[in-house]
Amino acid sequence: MGDLTLLFILFAPFVGAIALIFVSNRQTMLVRGIAAGSAFISLLASLYLFYAYDHVKGGFQFVQQFEWSRQLGISLHLGVDGIGTPLVLASSILLFAGIFVSWHIKDRTKEFYIWLLILAAATIGVFMSLDLFFLFFFYEMSVIPMYLLLGMWGSHTKTYNEMTDPEGLKLRDSVKFIFNFGSNSKEYAAMKLVLFLSAFAVAALMGILLIYKYSGLNTFDILVLREQAKLMNIPVLGTTLDKIIWILIFFGFASIAPLWPLHSWSPVGHAAAPAATSMLHAGVLMKLGHFSIIRVAFEILPETTRELMPIAAVLCMFSIVYGGFVAFYAKDTKYVIGYSSSSHMGYVFLGMAALDYISLTGAVMYMFAHAMATAMLFAMAGWVYDQTHTRDIPSLGGLSNRMPFISGCFVVGCMASIGVPGTVNFIAEVMIIVGSWNKYPLQVIVAVVGIVLTLAYLFKMMRGLFYGPMDQKYSHAHDAVSLPDRLPLLIMITVTIGFFFFPMHLYNVVRSGVDPLIAKITRVVPVASQDRELLSVKREAQTGGVPNRPQDVSDNASRDTLHASRGKE
Amino acid sequence: MTFSFTMSPSDLLLLLPEILLTVWLCLILIVDFSFPRLPNEQLAYFSIAGLVATLGCLIWFDVAGITGTLFANMFALDRMALFFKMFIVGSTILVILVSVDYMHRFKFFRGEYYFLVVMSALGMMFMASANDLLSVFVALEFSTLGFYVLVAYLRDDIGSNEAGIKFFILGIFAAALLAYGISLVYGETGKLVFSDMKTAQASPGLAIGFLLIFAALGFKIGSVPFHSWIPDTYHGSPTPVTAFLSIAPKGAAFAILLRMFLVSLVTFKPIWTLLLVAASILSMTYGNIVAIAQKNMKRLLAYSGIAQIGNVLIGLATGTKMGSDAMLFYLLTYLFANLGAFAIVIAVSEAIGSEEIDDYSGLGRRSPFLAFSMLIFLLSLAGVPPLAGFIGKLYIFVAAIKEGLYVLITVGLINIVISMYYYLIVVKKMYVSEPHDRSPLKVSGPIKAVIYVCLAGTLAIGIYPQPVTDWVVSAVMMFADVADPTASLPAPLPSSPSGASPHDS
Repeated sequence: MGDLTLLFILFAPFVGAIALIFVSNRQTMLVRGIAAGSAFISLLASLYLFYAYDHVKGGFQFVQQFEWSRQLGISLHLGVDGIGTPLVLASSILLFAGIFVSWHIKDRTKEFYIWLLILAAATIGVFMSLDLFFLFFFYEMSVIPMYLLLGMWGSHTKTYNEMTDPEGLKLRDSVKFIFNFGSNSKEYAAMKLVLFLSAFAVAALMGILLIYKYSGLNTFDILVLREQAKLMNIPVLGTTLDKIIWILIFFGFASIAPLWPLHSWSPVGHAAAPAATSMLHAGVLMKLGHFSIIRVAFEILPETTRELMPIAAVLCMFSIVYGGFVAFYAKDTKYVIGYSSSSHMGYVFLGMAALDYISLTGAVMYMFAHAMATAMLFAMAGWVYDQTHTRDIPSLGGLSNRMPFISGCFVVGCMASIGVPGTVNFIAEVMIIVGSWNKYPLQVIVAVVGIVLTLAYLFKMMRGLFYGPMDQKYSHAHDAVSLPDRLPLLIMITVTIGFFFFPMHLYNVVRSGVDPLIAKITRVVPVASQDRELLSVKREAQTGGVPNRPQDVSDNASRDTLHASRGKE
Repeated sequence: MTFSFTMSPSDLLLLLPEILLTVWLCLILIVDFSFPRLPNEQLAYFSIAGLVATLGCLIWFDVAGITGTLFANMFALDRMALFFKMFIVGSTILVILVSVDYMHRFKFFRGEYYFLVVMSALGMMFMASANDLLSVFVALEFSTLGFYVLVAYLRDDIGSNEAGIKFFILGIFAAALLAYGISLVYGETGKLVFSDMKTAQASPGLAIGFLLIFAALGFKIGSVPFHSWIPDTYHGSPTPVTAFLSIAPKGAAFAILLRMFLVSLVTFKPIWTLLLVAASILSMTYGNIVAIAQKNMKRLLAYSGIAQIGNVLIGLATGTKMGSDAMLFYLLTYLFANLGAFAIVIAVSEAIGSEEIDDYSGLGRRSPFLAFSMLIFLLSLAGVPPLAGFIGKLYIFVAAIKEGLYVLITVGLINIVISMYYYLIVVKKMYVSEPHDRSPLKVSGPIKAVIYVCLAGTLAIGIYPQPVTDWVVSAVMMFADVADPTASLPAPLPSSPSGASPHDS
């Protein structure tokens, strides 16, 4: 496959989706077969990508570039580095798994798979875009399928169903219903998700446009911009332009991550989504935020990142604690997992905020690990919902008798989510904690509290679902027996445990992407202060004849080494 | 003022598309009167044949680079005019195709319908070439004349009559403003040709004159605050006429606006930029916010059209070459998405007899093809990748950010989110709500053809816009140096050697 690997990964699901348009909805097996086949091609290609990625060489590999618009300076520039590679792999694993998880969807099967494939392909597209335009293009493209997936195949919350029941109709006038406290319909969830994400996406787009204008290079190419864009020291509105751009980019993309306080769309969306959509949503869609921040803000504005990343360090504490507590008190299985995801995304922000080799590597590995863990939990919550038609934890219980396989997998999923040794999450969490300890001890303590919270709410949910007395009305519920039902869980468990025992390739790959980035961010003295110092020194030199301080020399030296390392990339 | 009027055969060549269409116009009328029993689809295809021939002629001109000016610069055939003529003729062909099935609602004068549509198209073709205030007035009124009749074509329908009256009274009022504006401008400058006014000095009379002209053209494009006729007229008119009204006159009026602002008023750019920024912000915000409350599909598209025009005005407000590229590009994406959406409105209303959004419930189950196409068109209007509308919006924003119109871009971006809400409400009705009636819908051949063309356009431009961007960039090459108004501008149009005598008073 050689250099075309990325095209296979990206376009196989698109081609699958187009092929599905011409298939009749009645041929269910053919529909499933095409969807699974195209996802499998994508999965194989991304496995090849992951193992063929040369971590010694590092940098962007498998690069493809096609001119797309001369006037606007856009090219379809694809390539992956050590950060994108594992996320591409995670996306295609989850797409493949998601197709089997939604094997039993009866209503408009074809349309479901079309939108699922487009969603996954768009997500994959973000992870391999080296052009700001296409990054945004795929990012925005992944939002709309969510609306249709949630709206058409999603489910209302229990409170909403109760309130809209014939008996509960009088409740519809209550304040609770009008303001949607816990009474979210799937339409509400879908609309909230799309509008929320689009609103922040346009903020990010504004940032991208500002980069485009002020770089003056007439290009959206990230590789060109990161080398040549001079965005520092432009005073705007009492601050500098780079800060404004950074804030726009950071919060624009952090909304999908989701960083507290921009998280509110996420649990609502999870709760409404069908299982496979939740898996992709929590597994990889949320990582688009972190990834885009790394790709745009870290690459193009390294100095500003160093200056402003403490914002993330502060907000991630709230993410972790708030998400954890809400998950503890939530009664809906998907709310629990949804809030747990947004809490866990706080760890990733912590790892990013520390701007340390170990912690950022940990953060990227955590993204990969969390994708598997949370997708597993969502897949099983979806299975339980399909069997019992409820997600209300207090009314469930004792299902382990009916579904031993699912409950066994659920234990593994919980362990992975907590980060118990034996799962790759453990390695990632330890790296985040160790890496950020020097810089943010308080946040690390909060993160450890968060792990305890995770343990508490996941065990509470596990007990509520699978142990204790069982309501007789669920006696018809049955286990995942057939291969298509078990396959996705087995794949994800294998990946989670496998990478605990053989983490070196993953580590090396991620590290090869993180190293140049952190080197660039931490070793460059902010141009602003440096220039000011230089100016003052020059002025002093002119007036008083004070010799240059040695600091300037060292700054210049570090700059030179940096140029050298850039060359190596 | 003296005119010497001489024409050579090569001048006639420049008028060939218009002459062809005029001849065809007469033929349509003659055929209609001579064969009263002729099924009216055949008349529709006969009209389309003429339009296709005209389109072919225009394409030939564009490829062969045949350009020039006529009648003392009154009539300019440059590549921008050719672009807009193709735009107008193309949309007319699509409109006639969607009219074929609608025709049974007209009790009388079915043949004249095609005549009037083609006549308006002819008027708009002259608008695209109008390079002089007089020809602007004549062409604009010529094209509107047909519309006055077309809007009120459903004779027994009160809504259609109301639409006709509203459109007529406001249209006449706009015409009066235009005439008054022209007289003021002529009084101040003594010039009528756009390119002669570049040296005009600022004076209150000139400012008021151009403001009045802008008001009249703002009426044509339906930008706030000249939009008040749009919702009722769109709602009441026969739907194919609404579709026609929502796209072709806007294109033609933008051709005039481009010539006016970028050629004659280029020295006053800082002033009119403010005016256009205000009009653009008002149009986008008003259109999008009011569209949220709509219950009728045609009214929703009417308000969304007002908002879309606000987006196009961003491009005009930049006052640069790139801004005008982006405008042309945006109008093209708007043509496909908007005409496609109207074609579906017609198809649905033919099948279920309703245009209310509520009756679109469950369209995804009743007719997956219509629902999917509508989804694509609405998302393109909203500006979602990978559809044409997204590229159009981005092109406009890139052009605007290069000029530093930050407030305008911010408002435009916020409006994308607002507009997404009401487009998604329709999507929700189509896909999420359960149908009241599960019977599948039938779509007729011509409408299907239009939908396919529009789908192809929306997707193709969205996925690979390079050919279209190349085309629009070369179409407005004449504005290449407007960015710097102080530089001495070469004449934007190569004056035809066989034109008329110099224009002096």
